[in-house]
Amino acid sequence: MNTLLKFNWQGLIKAAFPLRTLSLFPKLQLKEIQEVQEGKSLIIKGVNVPSGREPFLLETENELCPICSSGLEVKHTDVLIISQFVRSDGCMLPRRVTGLCRRQQKRMSILVAMAQKAGLMPNLTPATSKKDPKKRFGWKRYNKYFDESTIKIR
Amino acid sequence: MAALKRVQQWATFARVWHIFDASWQNPFESAQVLKKYLMGLYKPIYHPMNECGDHVIVINSADIALPGDEWVKRVYFHHTGYPGGASWTLAWDLHKKDPTLVLKKAVYNSMDGNLQRRYTMERLHIFPDSKVPGALMKNVSNQIRQIRPMPKRLDEYTEKEVKEFPKIIDLPKDYILR
Repeated sequence: MNTLLKFNWQGLIKAAFPLRTLSLFPKLQLKEIQEVQEGKSLIIKGVNVPSGREPFLLETENELCPICSSGLEVKHTDVLIISQFVRSDGCMLPRRVTGLCRRQQKRMSILVAMAQKAGLMPNLTPATSKKDPKKRFGWKRYNKYFDESTIKIR
Repeated sequence: MAALKRVQQWATFARVWHIFDASWQNPFESAQVLKKYLMGLYKPIYHPMNECGDHVIVINSADIALPGDEWVKRVYFHHTGYPGGASWTLAWDLHKKDPTLVLKKAVYNSMDGNLQRRYTMERLHIFPDSKVPGALMKNVSNQIRQIRPMPKRLDEYTEKEVKEFPKIIDLPKDYILR
């Protein structure tokens, strides 16, 4: 009987009022994670950095997505454009980050894959990559190109 | 014969030497271009019975490019003549064995099979890299234009060029750089 009466009050309070962190500073800023080794201690800190893209940003005139409004026909050899949609390890950025429409996001992800297969972005690869396309396995080391008209998007 | 006419005669029948850089070029598209120079099809004096073809030096044949996955889709067939002597070699395998062979076969197959074909092929000089013997190189007087532009890799641009290229999107404020 005694055990039945023991009620988990603390659990109820936690469920009713979940712990909220309160911050007085704007959390939402572009951050870079830096690891600094000082003696024996490793300090990992998020540093607010400017993206560096603001002065070179294209102006959009309408409400379409950035690529649709610019009217660009991006090819897989335009690595200076494609690399803007890629993380430093070669991963495609998600749509909530790129802000593209559904079609252009799909098309851009295919273009990224094409450029990577053609070995045009060897510096944007995972850390385990050999970087040099000539060192790839088997037939993948030979030069190849792609036809953008083969991209089929509904 | 007047001196001018004599020079014109020499210029008409002299063999011209062309050079072609095959890096990032489709060998089958370039074969259609090279064959015109090898057979002399572009000359007004061309006739099938008139041997007026030129020499073509092809450099960087190891750097040819094929579209998509054609390196593993294109197959070269050979038969020794004995039973069970058939063999199929993928294009990349052939290219690994001899980096001039894919282009050579492409040019050979682009021409009609007649008695002239073997002699026309002798005027084609293919080199896997850009090292050409000086005795051949001193004859060259024309460069054949490449069909497709050579792509530039991202690491070949300077850091400033990459940074100052017009940007289409900006990263959102809550994005953590990786």
